Amino acid sequence: MATHSETDVLVIGAGAGGAAMSKRLSDGGVKVTCLEQGDWLHPMNHPHMYDGWELERLRTWSWHPNVRMFPEDYPTTGNAAPMMMNGVGGSTLHYAGAWPRFKPVDFRKGTEHGLEGTIDWPISYEDLEPFYAINDAEIGVARRVGDPGNPPRPEGWGPASRGGKVGRKMGRGFDELGWHWWPADNAILTREKNNRMACNDCGFCLGGCPRHAIASTDVSYWPKALANGVDLRVNARVETITTANGRATGAVYIDRTTGARSEVRAKIVVLAANSIGTPRLLLLSAQKGYPDGLANSNGLVGTHLMFHSWSFEDYWFDEPLEGFKGPEPAVLYSQEFYDTDPSRGFVNGFSLQVGTALGAANSALGTNTGKIAPWGAGHREFFNKHFAHHALVYVQGEDLPVRTNRVTIDPAVVDSSGLPVPHVHYDLHENDRRLITWGQERAREAAEAAGPVIDMATTGIGGVGGPPPGWHIMGTCRMGNTPEDSVTNKWNQTWDVPNLFITDASSLTTGAAVNPTSTLQAVSVRAAEYIKRRFADITSQTKTPSNADAPDF
Amino acid sequence: MIDVTIRSGSKPPLGGWLPPAALSAPQADVLNAIADELIPGGEGFPPPSGVNVVGFIVRYVAPSGQEAKWYPFLTEAEFARRLDELGSAFVSASSAERVQVLIGLERDDAEFFGRLRDMVYYAYYSRPEVVAAINRNLEAGRDYRNSPQPYGYTDVMDDWDDDLLSRVKGTYTRTEDVVRLPLPENLRP
Ligand SMILES: Cc1cc2nc3c(=O)[nH]c(=O)nc-3n(C[C@H](O)[C@H](O)[C@H](O)COP(=O)(O)OP(=O)(O)OC[C@H]3O[C@@H](n4cnc5c(N)ncnc54)[C@H](O)[C@@H]3O)c2cc1C
Repeated sequence: MATHSETDVLVIGAGAGGAAMSKRLSDGGVKVTCLEQGDWLHPMNHPHMYDGWELERLRTWSWHPNVRMFPEDYPTTGNAAPMMMNGVGGSTLHYAGAWPRFKPVDFRKGTEHGLEGTIDWPISYEDLEPFYAINDAEIGVARRVGDPGNPPRPEGWGPASRGGKVGRKMGRGFDELGWHWWPADNAILTREKNNRMACNDCGFCLGGCPRHAIASTDVSYWPKALANGVDLRVNARVETITTANGRATGAVYIDRTTGARSEVRAKIVVLAANSIGTPRLLLLSAQKGYPDGLANSNGLVGTHLMFHSWSFEDYWFDEPLEGFKGPEPAVLYSQEFYDTDPSRGFVNGFSLQVGTALGAANSALGTNTGKIAPWGAGHREFFNKHFAHHALVYVQGEDLPVRTNRVTIDPAVVDSSGLPVPHVHYDLHENDRRLITWGQERAREAAEAAGPVIDMATTGIGGVGGPPPGWHIMGTCRMGNTPEDSVTNKWNQTWDVPNLFITDASSLTTGAAVNPTSTLQAVSVRAAEYIKRRFADITSQTKTPSNADAPDF
Repeated sequence: MIDVTIRSGSKPPLGGWLPPAALSAPQADVLNAIADELIPGGEGFPPPSGVNVVGFIVRYVAPSGQEAKWYPFLTEAEFARRLDELGSAFVSASSAERVQVLIGLERDDAEFFGRLRDMVYYAYYSRPEVVAAINRNLEAGRDYRNSPQPYGYTDVMDDWDDDLLSRVKGTYTRTEDVVRLPLPENLRP
C-alpha cells in the first residue's frame, strides 16, 4: 500500500455510534483515527431559510440516498428503501432527535416469547442505564422527569420541548381515555450548550438543524473528539477491513476526492457504518480465512434486519392546532400498549407517538398520508379547514427480528467508488401486521377522544406501501449470547475476530418499540469504556471470550 | 466579475438553479393560466398569477445543459414544450374550458399533471403575499411565517398543561418480572 498510518483504534463511520465511540475513547487518551465516507455539513446547507424549504425534502434533503444521489451516498437495491445520510454525523444529520429509551422488558424478549429470531439481549436495562445517562448529558437531552411508565431518568439538560396546541389537544385525548402519555424526551437543546443554540420551535426538524439545537453528532460529539486529537478523515470510503493471523489489522480506504487508496493500521478496529453499511463492509471484506465475509462464520452478518413496523395516521380537528410550530416528530408518546398481551393475537407492543406537520404547502400536498387538497373550485375550502388543524399519531411497533430480512451484496450495482452496493430485503411478519392494524385502531380512539375529528387519513400498515419506511435501521450484526445466535458478544466484540468491534444500530439485538439512537449510543459509549479499560486484554486475545469468560469492566 | 451561477456539481443546488430555466413570455402566460385554475384566488387569497409563482417554479426546472435528475424531474426544454402545446389557445379560453383541458391532462398524463400541480402548490404557498393572506384570513395560521428560520415560533408557542400531566398513570415491567408468556394460538409453531 502506497501510504499507511498507524493508530490505536480505527473507527469506521462518523455517525451516531462512531462519534460516541471516538469521543469516549479519546477522552481517555486513546489514539483514534476515524474514517468517514462523507464530508462536513455547513449550516447554510440547510433549507430552513429558503422559500422552497418544503420542497427541498424531495431533493437535497430527501431521506433516501437513492433519491439524493450525492457522491458520498451509496445506492441500495432490493424491496426496501433504507433512509440514511452519509457525512460527519451520519444519519443523525437527518434525524429528529426523538429520544426515548428502551424499557427493561425490551432486553428480555427471548424469555418473554422468543418468536422468530427473537433472543434475549446479553445485557439488561440496568447494565446500560449508566451509559444512557452519560450519553444524555453529552447530547443535552430535553426532558420532563416523572414519567410513571418508565424507570426514573435523570434531569435533562433543559426542560422538555413545549408541546404547543397539538400537545395539549392530544394530551387531553389520552387523559380522557385514562391511557399513559408523557411529553417526549428529545435530543434537542431547550437551553444553550457549548456554542449550540437552543431550539426556537421552528417546526422543521427533519431537515437537520442549522441552529445546532438537534444533537447530530457533528455538533454534539465531534467538536470535543477533535479537540481530544481524534484524526477524523472525511471523504474516506473504506473498501476492506484487513486481517492477519485471526486479528483485524486495519482498513484500506479510498479517498473519494482523489481516488487514491490508503491504509490505516490499528490495534483495534471498531465498525460503525450503520445497519446497512456495516454488514456491507463485512461482506465486502471476504478474504483468505473468511470466505463468506468477515465475522460471518455463522452466516448471521446482515440478517435479522429490523425497521420498526409503522403506520402514520393524520387527523384533522375542528380547532386551530398550529402544527407548524414545535418539534416535528415527537411531541408526546403513549406507551399504554407497550407490553405484550397475547390475547390481542400478537406479541410485542407499540408506542403511539404524536407529531406535527410542516407548512402550508405540505398541508396542501397531503400532510403525511397523501390527502391532497383538490385543485380548482374546492381548493380553498379544503385548505382552510385542514391547514394547521392537524395532529399526526404514528404507531411505532416493535418488529420481530426475522432471519430472512437481511442485507446482502448486489454485485450488479456499484457506488461512485466502484464498490458493490447492498441489497436490502424486508417482509413484514404476520405478527407485526396484526400489531399495527390493532395499533391503528387505538390511534383513532385517542384522536376521537381528543376530538372532534373532521377528517383522517392513513398510510396503511407498514408505512407507505409494503415494507415499513426504513429510518430506524437495526439489527444485522446483533450482539447476543453465544457464537451461534449472534455476531458479537456482550461487549460488541465480534465472535470471529476478537479485536473487531461493532457499535452502531446493527448491534441492537431487538428493536423495542421506540426510536433507537439513545440506545445505540449508550451501547457504543459502554463499549468504548470497555475498550479503554480492557485495552491490554483485548489486544492480546486470540479468541473472542464468551460472555461468561470475558473480563468485566 | 463575480460569477453567481449555482452549479450542481453532482448535487442538486439548494434553493433551485440560478440563473433559472428560461421561459418565454407566452410560456409564462400559460403557466400562470394553469396555476390560476389549480388554485383560484378569492376569499382574501390572491390568484397565483399575481404573486409570481412562475419565478419560483423556473428555479426548480433543470435549466438547459442540466439533467433532470432530481425533483420535479423536468428539463427546461421539456417543460417549455409542454407549455407551448397548450399555447395561447389555453390562455384565451374561458375558465370552464381551461378546467376541461386540465381534467383531460390529469386523466391522460397523470405523472406530468401531478408534478405540475405539486409545483404550483409549492410555489403558491411559499409566496410572502400568500403567507400574509394566511395570517389575515385563517385563525390557525395567524402566526405562520415565510420560513421556519430564522425566527422560529418560540414567542408564540403554548406550553404543557400541568394539570393534565399530574394525572398521568403508567407502569412498566421490571427486568426481574419478565416471564414467559403463552404465544397467541395462531402464532404457535
Ligand atoms: C429521517 C430520519 C429521521 C430519524 N429520526 C430519528 C429520531 O427521531 N430518533 C432516533 O432515535 N433515530 C432517528 N433516526 C435514526 C437515526 O438517524 C439512526 O438510528 C442513527 O443515525 C444510526 O446510527 P449508526 O451509528 O448506526 O449509523 P449512522 O448514523 O448512519 O452513521 C454511519 C456512518 O458510517 C458511514 N459509512 C458507511 N459506510 C462507510 C464506509 N464504507 N466507509 C466510510 N464510512 C462509511 C456513513 O457515511 C455514515 O456517516 C432517524 C433517521 C432518519 C433517516
